[in-house]
Amino acid sequence: MTRELTHYLESIRSSAHLDNCDEPAVMDELQAHIEDKLRDLTESGLSEEEAIKTCIWQMGSIKALARQIYEAYSQGSWKQVLMAAMPHFIFGLLFMLNWWHYPQWSSIALIITLGIAVYGWGHGKPVWAFSWLGYALIPVITAGILLLYVPTNWSFLGIIVYFPLAIWWVFRLVVQTTKKDWLLSTVMLLPLPIMIGWYLAICPTGKITSDSLQKVNTYAPWIGVSFMMLAFTIGTFIRLRQRSLRVGLLAVSGLLTITVAVFMATGHWDKASFFWPVVGLWVVLLFPPLLERQLKTGKWLPGKRRTTTVNS
Amino acid sequence: MESKRDLLKGSSNSLLLCLLEGQPMYGYQIVKELEAKSQGYFKFKEGTLYPALHRLEKSGVISSKWELLANGRQRRYYTITPKGQAMLAQEKTQWLDFFNAITMVLQPAKSGI
Repeated sequence: MTRELTHYLESIRSSAHLDNCDEPAVMDELQAHIEDKLRDLTESGLSEEEAIKTCIWQMGSIKALARQIYEAYSQGSWKQVLMAAMPHFIFGLLFMLNWWHYPQWSSIALIITLGIAVYGWGHGKPVWAFSWLGYALIPVITAGILLLYVPTNWSFLGIIVYFPLAIWWVFRLVVQTTKKDWLLSTVMLLPLPIMIGWYLAICPTGKITSDSLQKVNTYAPWIGVSFMMLAFTIGTFIRLRQRSLRVGLLAVSGLLTITVAVFMATGHWDKASFFWPVVGLWVVLLFPPLLERQLKTGKWLPGKRRTTTVNS
Repeated sequence: MESKRDLLKGSSNSLLLCLLEGQPMYGYQIVKELEAKSQGYFKFKEGTLYPALHRLEKSGVISSKWELLANGRQRRYYTITPKGQAMLAQEKTQWLDFFNAITMVLQPAKSGI
């Protein structure tokens, strides 16, 4: 296999964003086709260079082929829809039924979330696992917020030790996910702008005050509705085939959720609780594709430049 | 030629099923067989064959199996399933009806009108 054809196959592989379980078979099949084609073309009298050019031209453009492969594999089953929508549904239910303040229910929800997220991560990282991973970040964020309320000396320690560690860990998680597909990073991080919106609606100054819990009680049904909207969004996302539609869905639905939930619940145009979640949403939508581009060119990870090997 | 491409796009499933009805085949063999049987009429970007085959496999009308060749290489052979045969029979009937209707309009004398 020449460098040109290896690059052709590698470009298709990186653009098709296939699941780990499908990718080797699809790439092996394409490689076998190219090898057969190349042999026939050279036997028919073409030079190696001409044969390679003809072969690539007859196979089709990388972009079109990768898109078609993606669409052939992207649609998830209804079981996957259920699995992907489940964490949003669980947290939505927790607030809609006003069970969030019972420690046992919140703990059960978090333990289930962490368990399934770790299981999914360790078992081939299926698409549904990334919804769970987003909620698995809640304990990390909560611990960070709580550290702001411990005595000053400990709080300082938290800032210099915990925050850099937490940010590094989340960044590593996003990098690992983006290597697979940046859209999955967006799926994973999508609940964060919604949570930021609610946090700012409940604590406009950024600090938890005595009436914060009362506010959570008041807004609980709306918080539940926003998580349910996310459940519906992710369910639709799993069933859609086209990548462009998936991106559009996440952008529109994220904005709609923030607008409906935060604006309707607060009853007025609160700039802070609307502006920062929208900024967060743009970060969630734009950072992963930019990161993916950087990872592909190898600029951010020394010694991890793009490989040109193909599964054989 | 856009209209020819549209025709091929609309009938690609039937063509693939029809080819696989005869014998199990691998991708490159399908491309060559289609070109030979249609005397070069059906030519398309070969890579696009695989997404089409994988969609058919997902819908259960064909199945695939990897086979190890004597030279150590592996090939993925596609076979039509009973569900695929039923679908093909239905599509063949539709195509024949369509073809007859078109012929009657385009060649009224030959078709006896």
